[in-house]
Amino acid sequence: MTILDQTETVAPEPAPAPDPIAVAVHLRPPLRTGIDARFGPSDPAKGLDVARYPRVARLLKSRRFQFMLILPNQIIFWLVIFIGLLGTVVPGLNFGTAITWYVWFCLVFVMMVVVGRAWCAMCPFGGFAEWIQRRSLWQRTQRRLGLGLKLPEPIARYGFLLSVASFLLLTWIEEFFNIAVPGNPAATSFMVLGIVTSALLFFLVFERRTFCRYICPLSALIGTVGSMGSVAGFRTRDRDVCLSCKTKDCMRGGESGYGCPWYTWPGSADSNLACGLCSECYKACPADNIGLYLQKPLTSVIAPTRRRADVAWAIAVLWGLVVFQQFNSLSPYATLDNWLNRHMAFPNYPNPVDYVGIIAVVTIAMAGIAWGAARLFARPGLEFVGRGQGFIEKASKFRAYFLPLMYGIIPVVGADFFARQLPKFFKHATRVVPSVGHLFGAGSTSSSLYATRMLSNPGIVKVQVGVIAVGTVAAMWTSWRIAGRELAPVSSRPAGVRVAAVGLALVCGVAAAFMYVLMSAAS
Amino acid sequence: MTLTTLGGSPADAAVASHPKVTVLVDRCAGCQECVVRCPVEALSMDVATWTAIADDSKCIGCRQCVRTCPFSAIFIDGPMVVAERVGRPAHHLEQLEGNLEETRLGFSSWADVVAEASRCLSCPDPTCVRGCPVHNDIPGFIAAVRGGDLDEAHRVLRRTTFLPDVCSRVCDQAVQCEGACTWSLAGGAPVAIGAIERFIADNAPVPGVEQVSERGRDLEVAIVGSGPAGIAAAWELAQAGASVTVFEKDEQPGGLIRWGIPDFTLPRSVSSRAWDALEEAGVDLRCGSEVAPSELAKLSASYDAVVLAHGAGVPMRLPVKGGDLEGVWDATRFLVEARAAVAEHRPLAGLVAGGPDDVVGAGPGTGAGGGSGAGGGSGAGGGSQSYGLIPTVLVVGAGNTAMDVARLARRLGARPICVDWMDRRFAPVRPDELEEAALEGVDIRFSTTLGRLEGQDGHVVAAVLDSTRQEAANRLPEIVGHATATERVDLVVMAMGYRLDQGYASVLPGVPVSRRASGVADRGWQASGLIAAGAPAFARHQPIGQLALGRENARVRASLGVGDRLWVAGDALVGPATVVEAMAQGRRAAQAILDEQPRRDGHQPSGRPLRVLVGYESRAGHTERAARAAAACLAASSAEVKIVPLSSIGVAELASADLVLVGTWVEGLVVAGVRSAKATRQWLAALPPLGGKHFAIFCTYGVAPRGALSALQGEIESRGGVVVASAAFGPRPSAESSPEKLALSAIEKLGAQRSTLEASIPAA
Repeated sequence: MTILDQTETVAPEPAPAPDPIAVAVHLRPPLRTGIDARFGPSDPAKGLDVARYPRVARLLKSRRFQFMLILPNQIIFWLVIFIGLLGTVVPGLNFGTAITWYVWFCLVFVMMVVVGRAWCAMCPFGGFAEWIQRRSLWQRTQRRLGLGLKLPEPIARYGFLLSVASFLLLTWIEEFFNIAVPGNPAATSFMVLGIVTSALLFFLVFERRTFCRYICPLSALIGTVGSMGSVAGFRTRDRDVCLSCKTKDCMRGGESGYGCPWYTWPGSADSNLACGLCSECYKACPADNIGLYLQKPLTSVIAPTRRRADVAWAIAVLWGLVVFQQFNSLSPYATLDNWLNRHMAFPNYPNPVDYVGIIAVVTIAMAGIAWGAARLFARPGLEFVGRGQGFIEKASKFRAYFLPLMYGIIPVVGADFFARQLPKFFKHATRVVPSVGHLFGAGSTSSSLYATRMLSNPGIVKVQVGVIAVGTVAAMWTSWRIAGRELAPVSSRPAGVRVAAVGLALVCGVAAAFMYVLMSAAS
Repeated sequence: MTLTTLGGSPADAAVASHPKVTVLVDRCAGCQECVVRCPVEALSMDVATWTAIADDSKCIGCRQCVRTCPFSAIFIDGPMVVAERVGRPAHHLEQLEGNLEETRLGFSSWADVVAEASRCLSCPDPTCVRGCPVHNDIPGFIAAVRGGDLDEAHRVLRRTTFLPDVCSRVCDQAVQCEGACTWSLAGGAPVAIGAIERFIADNAPVPGVEQVSERGRDLEVAIVGSGPAGIAAAWELAQAGASVTVFEKDEQPGGLIRWGIPDFTLPRSVSSRAWDALEEAGVDLRCGSEVAPSELAKLSASYDAVVLAHGAGVPMRLPVKGGDLEGVWDATRFLVEARAAVAEHRPLAGLVAGGPDDVVGAGPGTGAGGGSGAGGGSGAGGGSQSYGLIPTVLVVGAGNTAMDVARLARRLGARPICVDWMDRRFAPVRPDELEEAALEGVDIRFSTTLGRLEGQDGHVVAAVLDSTRQEAANRLPEIVGHATATERVDLVVMAMGYRLDQGYASVLPGVPVSRRASGVADRGWQASGLIAAGAPAFARHQPIGQLALGRENARVRASLGVGDRLWVAGDALVGPATVVEAMAQGRRAAQAILDEQPRRDGHQPSGRPLRVLVGYESRAGHTERAARAAAACLAASSAEVKIVPLSSIGVAELASADLVLVGTWVEGLVVAGVRSAKATRQWLAALPPLGGKHFAIFCTYGVAPRGALSALQGEIESRGGVVVASAAFGPRPSAESSPEKLALSAIEKLGAQRSTLEASIPAA
């Protein structure tokens, strides 16, 4: 006699009469051809599945896993809100502002680059709203609060672009109200409260993590920059099992896990772009067919065979934003901004026209470069016909060049965002200690740690340029690889287009580094 | 093959627009749930993007993809490309009084049936099959009809149902197969599944009971009740060669389908077919022999298995002032006596227009002319009286039984008024029956209830009605206006439904007295998109998937049994329900008997190993390890062992196990009390009545188990389970208790238990 385990795929008890439902159901076989070409490049190696280790598996199976990730952040950010409102008005000494702007933002970028959506797994804003939406802190229940609507198709078809727009808006607000310098701690509190409130609102109106996927200001940034990360996310162990799965509990939700809140299917994920690392699919899978995979850095940038237009445009716009953030600490910008404000009777920096204008100029420049590349390199007579239907999937000659080129510069854009945060960290991160002390009546602006700088300005610039250099080299590598696979076959001069793609990454990197030198570690 | 036809002329067909399909490529994960279910292959996969793509020119707008997409990434705009539902000729009886002719007609021509059958999409994941309580292979028999093979169609039906002729007439298809039809779920007119089934059942040659296996050769089974549940159980057992004895308290077999449904809905020739066939097959039918609850133990001792299918035949009465007046009847009495009166073309005793002076006490209604005959008589054959002399029957309720009562009253020449406190939108009555009743002149008033009855000389003369309001299908109506109307009445019939005989309820563990809807979403059902279908208006705002799941759960519960060698099926199990559900449950109970092969001498027939289900609720892995150790030991002693986490054990798993071994960790503080883990307690709370199922339990603890084990045992026993062994395992292995010892003692006890079975059945 044998013991039948639920993990084995054996038929249950020999039924005396065949189950009439099973007799009547005759689903068409799912398509299995072309899988290797489509997913082969992006599938992580079997050996990199950390859920193989029983301890990790137990941790991921635990329903408290994500709750425990969220809880500390939840506590910190409610402290930020209250201390920001009630604590000292000295920004550097207020725990709320100090932790948020000197440390947290920097840490988020480190997590992005190293892991991917690690922050999303522990985010207290989405986490809080999700607790309320599910009416449960960690348990799997059928309870629900809110309307559970789907994001309307006319918006959802633009994918991550809504998130980019909200990031632009939030950044502008943050600059306009002088929140992140940091300015008045109460402003930080109101900003965090605003994020929590809008998250909650969207969680109550829409189903799952529609907010996180489509609306959250950081979603597109973390998604794109995070694709450099070394965690591939939750992926299928055996795609055949997924394809023949009759229930798709990972998407619809099962006994022990919710359906994917991020609209990602482990069976077809080809990058970590939209895996929130929440482990719900892992818990829900009835066949234990999902693993948590690691991958080599930059894999999710290089490997996916499907390129998405929304991601490419997001990269271009985000690149425009970070260039703006560099440019705005240089004197020509101040002149421009003041001039515009005077003529438009706009109160203060940043003038929305130059804000949007500069970002648009950079974005259009990137698109123009891709257009030029297409004109220069595209093999004559080649048809660029995609079978996709929406904005994301349409194909054209321009897109055939624009998409790979933008994916290629992801590392330099990521490095630039990260480098931009470094001055605050190196100049002021130590202030967190007196700001904590201040809560207990110990810390003050006269504390030595308050004034300590970890690095001098030239030192910071060196680190910034170093970061950009690493990002540039990475971007040159990814551009080389991507161009080799995707641009060379459609170009009349395959080697030329690869060199051009690498050149674009290099130019971006050099421009960013040059500006950092000019900025001399301005925060 | 063209499955659908466009409506209108061929010219229209050429320009008819197909729906527009939009796949939201951002969200489409390429899981192919839509692709594998699309009945017309309009969806396929784009390999490069690994998303679904749609061919609009093939799409017929059935919207199965919309329902089944896990991420709601597919949208359809546009019409449903399907022909009009083929109508059936309306059949209005010119002469109602004294006429028991069938009112609802089937398809009149083969061409009509084929035309209607060709509206069926043969869905790869047919939701209609899940909507049907017996899971008839609906696309299967419809395909056979399309192929012109009526014989094959009937063969497909016989795989799952014994009463297609009855069910196709009395089923409420709108909340069953037709409610779950793809077209219906998409908001269109469903395929007329019931009518097609009826055409097959009425026109194909119907064989008797066929011998299909020898599995029941040595079994002797007693069945209490000869209604649909009893018929199905007897049929299934007779097919397997078992010796079946059926005890029926009435003089005629058939139960509810015999006396409960009037001939104009279910002709006698149809309702008696099943028993003719069963008796021919050698089923021992003992009419007029009632089995009292106290006699169950005796019955159990003389048969290998007992199926209780006695139904829920106690009519419910509205407790109103004046309810005990003369002239207030229950539905059963009216249906029996009125049918006899109509059939024999005589007036019904007690149904006379006018004052109490004219009324002689209502007799049993057997003797012709039992009424007073005063006042020129009413009813049968009449119809020429002046209005003032027509007797008025107030029917309390407007469900299916109430419609039967009212329409029978019309056939007696009376003026029936139906009042129901529910809102018309939510009332559980067949829409076509309601329509027919209204056409026949029944005055149906929803949102109205009986406030009180007024009598004169002990006989009811007037009814005072209240008006009610019901906001939603799942809310009880409330009275909003008192005494809004007063009606002169001559007879009041309470037709509000039935309940279980309390005598049986008291001896059966945990059988609900009234109907209870339960349903945990099953994943396979979820995937079919039926659960997501919501609560559409055609199903009287009831969630169609939940209804189907509730029926499915009851079906599985019927196989679980309620005691040793004792099964309950039909209304006796779930409270008043439908013919088809009773049939499904009766069949399932019989299958469980054939599967389990019980013997009254407690002897396990050779060749069937003990089936053990091991469930564990483990946190750190200790409990799982102990469970595996016990499972290994049980497997070594030649039992068939299945080991799963506790949470994944449902009723179906429980039903097929001889022994259930449950292990859990415990939580709590030693000082404040230790309990089994919350997940375990929740699992227990969700269990159905366990009816003598054998359990072995253990817990693993860190410090001390305290009362956890006995609490767990109490919980199982309170649900009717029998705990044969229990143990608690501490952090260190000990000599006196080990998983292996627990397993062995459970098997040992089980052997002993089997020989003292009779004692566990509640005796008189």
